[in-house]
Amino acid sequence: MKDFLIRLVWRIFSGILMVLAVASLTFFLVRMMPGDPVNAQYNQLIMQGMTPVQAENQVKVMYGFIPKEPVGQQFVNYILNLLHFDFGQSISYEGVSVSHIIVSAAPWTLVLVFTGLIASFLIGVLAGVIAAIKRSSPFGTSLTVSGSLLHGIPQFVMGLLLAYLFTTLWPLLPFGAPYDSSIDPGFNWPFISSLFSHAVLPVFTYALSSYGGWLLTMKSSVITVLGDDFILASEIRGLKASTRVGYIAHNAILPLFTLFTLSIGFMFGGSVFIENIFDYPGLGNLLLKSIDTRDYPLMSGAFLLITIAVILSNIITDFLYSIVDPRIRR
Amino acid sequence: MTNASSANMENVIEEKNQDMAISARNINVVYSTPTGQIPAVRNVDIDLPKGSITGIIGESGSGKSTLIMAIMNAVTKPGKIESGSVILDGKEDMLKLSTEQQRKIRGKKIGFVFQAAQNSLNPLRRVGQQILDLGRSHDVKDLRALIKYAKELLMRLGLDADRVLASYQHELSGGMRQRVGIMFALVLNADIVFLDESTTALDMLSQASVLEIIRELQKEKKLTIALVSHDIGVIADLSERIEIFYAGEIVEEGKTDDVLANPQHPYTRGLIRAIPKISGDIDSAEPLKGASPDYKTYQQPGCLFYDRCPIRTDECLKKRPDLTHIGKSHKVACFRVGVHD
Ligand SMILES: Nc1ncnc2c1ncn2[C@@H]1O[C@H](COP(=O)(O)OP(=O)(O)OP(=O)(O)O)[C@@H](O)[C@H]1O
Ligand SMILES: [Mg+2]
Repeated sequence: MKDFLIRLVWRIFSGILMVLAVASLTFFLVRMMPGDPVNAQYNQLIMQGMTPVQAENQVKVMYGFIPKEPVGQQFVNYILNLLHFDFGQSISYEGVSVSHIIVSAAPWTLVLVFTGLIASFLIGVLAGVIAAIKRSSPFGTSLTVSGSLLHGIPQFVMGLLLAYLFTTLWPLLPFGAPYDSSIDPGFNWPFISSLFSHAVLPVFTYALSSYGGWLLTMKSSVITVLGDDFILASEIRGLKASTRVGYIAHNAILPLFTLFTLSIGFMFGGSVFIENIFDYPGLGNLLLKSIDTRDYPLMSGAFLLITIAVILSNIITDFLYSIVDPRIRR
Repeated sequence: MTNASSANMENVIEEKNQDMAISARNINVVYSTPTGQIPAVRNVDIDLPKGSITGIIGESGSGKSTLIMAIMNAVTKPGKIESGSVILDGKEDMLKLSTEQQRKIRGKKIGFVFQAAQNSLNPLRRVGQQILDLGRSHDVKDLRALIKYAKELLMRLGLDADRVLASYQHELSGGMRQRVGIMFALVLNADIVFLDESTTALDMLSQASVLEIIRELQKEKKLTIALVSHDIGVIADLSERIEIFYAGEIVEEGKTDDVLANPQHPYTRGLIRAIPKISGDIDSAEPLKGASPDYKTYQQPGCLFYDRCPIRTDECLKKRPDLTHIGKSHKVACFRVGVHD
């Protein structure tokens, strides 16, 4: 238990170090960008008629550091602000803090990607087990083929295809926008059902395009486990089929576990194509927009969020893994 | 009626009278590999008399494991049982039962410790949990009693029962795992037990004590045991009957004492001569000359042992000898019985 705590503290500590390292990298990258966005912004403000002091203050608010200060000092300020979760202010949404923008975009992405991820994982893994066990039957083969096909279709093609099928050919579902703008947002039934029906296509697109990957990975993992001696032993000992399938699934899912928890981390990058096609105001769209408008504070804020999420999910994965696999415990 | 033929009649009657726990006939197993069909077991008849220990010995690769897996109808891909029948207790044919009926027999009526017993446990579950899984699969009502019996067996096998039950496979040594495998084969009170080189990972002393315990349990419960081993000493010590396996066929069988005292097949003689005797001179142990048969050997019409045989004649090249009686229950597959090298 004591070892466990020491390990936990150490992992969190090194996680924070990693986040700071990435933040520093982003800081210097932004400063080294061709045309130095910070300086460009400063010059632009001056040209808009601000006094140097005003312009300086404005830039400081936006980026968290002042271009005229020595780089070392700027860097220290930037990091200090970060430690207060202050990512500066957005350029394109003037005067709005980056953290506020990110926090309001995050739920859209999280609901979209999380639902899609869970659905595709559960269905893909189940289908993978069946595809492996019945791999010499037509049913198993067709499952595998379905996986390979869906896996091969790029996300944006899948999105456009679904959008065409269900909004144009059979207009069953709404297209674009997160909800019907004629409805007042709030905790009322029409709004909730509008939210729901607008989410169906993006979620399905995500789920369908990641299903194949889960299926194929699970299938090959199950086939590997099927060749293990203990599976033969469990057959020779006359264990029930359900028990044996449980043994197989438990052992086969371990390698997917890491992939799954990492996907949860990457979820914070949003799903650029899907959010773009369906005009969903999530993190992916935000990232795209920040690049479009050269909104550097927003961009580095969004990247930092992805970094933190991935590093955190990595730590959590490590710890959960040592719970699900007794061989890792120390 | 002559004397000889009445003696023969007696033999037949005696064989019929003794109940067979397992009576396998005409077993053929083929592995389909990219290099060709490997007929790993050919036309084998084998009987396991109730309440006795039968030893099976033969070169590595001669098909011993394949044969006993075939008796369980558990030959693994790319292997296939081409023909044969395995009659249990003179009643049903294991190879014709439904999957569910076979499942109920495996583990419950027939315990099996297979050669890879060191990796026979689910790495993600504790030994104790896996005993419970086994019990539940075979509808054992009193799981507490099952665990108690498992502990008793583990203790008799020289293990710290509580520790083993709480362990995962990776926390046990190779020899411990083998003994856990033996416990799994016995814990449901199977009356037929197969042991495929189940003591190879043990040191001499542990091996002797495990074998001693198997002998004790066999006496207590009147178990029918088939024991595969490379160690002719172990077989001589434990088994009443011996089956000598060569290249997928039985070349000699009979009461262990008869066969070892009066070996007839040149392979059996070679096998006995190849044992270094601890007390004797190590140089007196003679290795068998020549290579093990490969799959080309099987295609030739003559005796499979021809290439290595010290007493071969041209006749041996034309036909394969059948297993024939030369004594009460002593059978040999050789045209040159009685000729010594
Ligand atoms: N999965 C397999 N695929 C192809 N050939 C196989 C397979 N398993 C066994 N064989 C072949 O069948 C023959 C008999 O193998 P088997 O394992 O029954 O031998 P064995 O007598 O048990 O040997 P050992 O004493 O080494 O355990 C060998 O020639 C082997 O190459
Ligand atoms: Mg073997």
